[in-house]
Amino acid sequence: MSETRQTTDDAQATADSELAGGASPGTDQPLEVTSGETRERTREEWVEHEFEGEAKLSVSDLDVYYGDDHALKSVSMEIPENSVTALIGPSGCGKSTFLRCLNRMNDRIKAASIDGSVRLEGEELYQDGVNLVELRKRVGMVFQSPNPFPKSIADNISYGPRKHGDLDTGLLANLLGRSDDDAVDELVERSLQQAALWDEVNDRLDDNALGLSGGQQQRLCIARALATDPEVLLMDEPASALDPIATSKIEDLVHDLAEEYTVVIVTHNMQQAARISDQTAVFLTGGELVEYGDTDQVFEDPQSQRVEDYISGKFG
Amino acid sequence: MAGATDTALVSEDTSETEAVAAGAVGLAAVLFALSLASVFELVTITDPVAGVPMVALLGGLLVVLGFAVVTFGVGSRLGYVATDPRPTAGLLASGTFGLIWFVVGGLVASQTLGLGTAGWVVASLVTGGAAFAVSALPREDIGSTLPAGALAVFAGVVFLTGVIGPSWLWDLGWEQQASFNAEFTIPVLTAFCSLLVGWAAAKAYGGFGARGRHIGAYVLVYLNAISIIALLFLLVAFTVLKGLPGLFKGLAFGAGAGPEVTLVGVTFSLPVSWPFVMNGVALLNDVNGVLPAIVGTIWLVVGAVLFAVPLGIGAAVFITEYADRGRFTQVVEIATNGLWSTPSIVFGLFGLAFLVPRLGNQKSLLAGMLTLGFMLLPLVVITSRESMLAVPDEYRDASAALGVTKWQTVRSIVLPAALPGIVTGIILGVGRIAGETAPILLTMSGSVAPPGSQTVDVLGGFQLQYAPPFVTNPELMQATSALPYQLYSLITAGVGQSSNISAIDEFRWATALILLVVVLGFYAIGIATRYYFRSKLQHD
Repeated sequence: MSETRQTTDDAQATADSELAGGASPGTDQPLEVTSGETRERTREEWVEHEFEGEAKLSVSDLDVYYGDDHALKSVSMEIPENSVTALIGPSGCGKSTFLRCLNRMNDRIKAASIDGSVRLEGEELYQDGVNLVELRKRVGMVFQSPNPFPKSIADNISYGPRKHGDLDTGLLANLLGRSDDDAVDELVERSLQQAALWDEVNDRLDDNALGLSGGQQQRLCIARALATDPEVLLMDEPASALDPIATSKIEDLVHDLAEEYTVVIVTHNMQQAARISDQTAVFLTGGELVEYGDTDQVFEDPQSQRVEDYISGKFG
Repeated sequence: MAGATDTALVSEDTSETEAVAAGAVGLAAVLFALSLASVFELVTITDPVAGVPMVALLGGLLVVLGFAVVTFGVGSRLGYVATDPRPTAGLLASGTFGLIWFVVGGLVASQTLGLGTAGWVVASLVTGGAAFAVSALPREDIGSTLPAGALAVFAGVVFLTGVIGPSWLWDLGWEQQASFNAEFTIPVLTAFCSLLVGWAAAKAYGGFGARGRHIGAYVLVYLNAISIIALLFLLVAFTVLKGLPGLFKGLAFGAGAGPEVTLVGVTFSLPVSWPFVMNGVALLNDVNGVLPAIVGTIWLVVGAVLFAVPLGIGAAVFITEYADRGRFTQVVEIATNGLWSTPSIVFGLFGLAFLVPRLGNQKSLLAGMLTLGFMLLPLVVITSRESMLAVPDEYRDASAALGVTKWQTVRSIVLPAALPGIVTGIILGVGRIAGETAPILLTMSGSVAPPGSQTVDVLGGFQLQYAPPFVTNPELMQATSALPYQLYSLITAGVGQSSNISAIDEFRWATALILLVVVLGFYAIGIATRYYFRSKLQHD
């Protein structure tokens, strides 16, 4: 982090990266270092990730401003279906902002203005006439801190479908004999099973969800998001507030979910990203997507010097 | 020697000096309680307590306590008692002692010695300055005990020698012939001195320094809280004691003892006869009662709540969840706060000038309900808004991320989470409007002491008809009585004297007690509701 740390070796590495970064070779300009990062220019081919099949989400030239603050700079990336995509980077690099653009949660922040294109299976999300309710049903989200509603565990799970009108357990439905109680029970069990929470809570589904431990609450939130049967699941550092055991449960869960869902996960933890993701996108300071590709490639042989520095813990 | 570093980490067993100091604190508390008791004339100052007159007891205890505290302070200064004092008692304590002794010096010089203006000003300055100096300049152990102990001894001597004796009277010489008598002055002075001495003794018990200050503050705050609770309790107990005889007059049990009632078409006699709450006022009644006023009060509150709560919550939902935070919401906020502090008589006048002419041009129950509803409205808006703002935004985000619309989020997440707070607001508001007299006086007052036959029957008053407005309720359009209004007119206007009520004083106190019970009943309902909603939100 400190600039004084720079040794001759570092300086050499920096010089090399200048070459790799496309700076004109042969110039003997003094080496400048800002906040521990090497100066280099991002190359377009670093963010091109080849994969088979269609892209589930494709983002192109996405810019986000919070007031005068340029939070995301012209980000383009394609996210494949049924896989885990990890977004990593230091604090304030725009990875959460990027995630929140994928289901238009940034619309809820008044100061945010968004420019660019996000397509879900080819359909543009940032255009007039997009049904936000439908979008968020298809693109679910799990937040950084567990935020179950102050209701029973079962009610938390069935909340989305009930409010969408898919399931009706109201008084009138009960009186008319078309209550979906059985369907609700089945949904609750299935969602909790998917979130690997069923065994721990099946005997107290009517208890208040706030009585669960932090890790259980977070898995409940995942189950709640799964209950609306989304196609894409966005996770914003879902394990950052949890202990290692709960974290590993969430990681296993994410791994399993990728069979059915397209998971995009923001994390601070690089080991976690390396363990669970199929492809990794590295955002660095300034809201830039610097490198995006196969997780193995990004972690073992990054093309960008800055990414290598970040991954090896030289800054960030 | 001074300084926190000298304090032992583990204090040894309670020493004798500590025990003495603790005993002084306890004695001060007892003295405080005794003086409060005689302020409220539970014991008059001439009554003998344990063989001595109360005034002598108070004075004697003050002298003993004062000497004990001073002795402790001096002993600490001379090193006989291990303490940890600061170099000075501090500016706040010194200033307070200076001010107290300034007043004492002035009073003694002008009232007892009869000096003129110049004389008492000089005396005041001398005593006040001396107290300030004694408190501020020496070490804390002297500074905080000597002025307090001396004041207690001085007050005790004054009481014991009869300078302020039981027959003492201080005529202020104003036009209103205001005067202080001994019955009031002696206990109040004793209470004040005992607080001071108790504080000084508590500091001594803590060994002065930071710990002593902490214990001194603790004793003051504790005595303060206790006396407030005692005051509240006394107020309620006073009303209850005065009201009970009238309340239960003529109470009788047994099959068929009570009046006949008709419920769901079945007519039967109640097994209990409780004239005060089952009768009105009539010439032939053995025992007169306030049934119409009780029913009137209950319907007033119910009507006001039914009117104000949905409107208030709706407005709060709009300005909290939908309107952009900006000038508009600020204006609404200021306006609602202003409305809540608007005097009730203004609401009453509004009801009289605006509602009454539009509702059959006569004072009516409906006009009263709406006026009280208008009074309740701002508090419901304020508290609903506050409690909705307190609902974490994470809930709203989570709900939005599940694809749930804003209104459904408000209805299923925000409102349930905010309900305990909203109910608290309604409880507070109901407590206020149930006891309001002025708006009722102007918008719905009927006869002061109505007979039982004039009890409003709102539920039974609904009538269907085939022409607009299809439903009418003449009961709502009638003037009726309410407890606070009835109490007000029975006391101030003296109307009761000329009607059929004998034992008018008993009747008034019983009415006051019933009003208290009705308001507390609404409180109980509110608190039970809040408890219910809160338990739904929390895990056990």
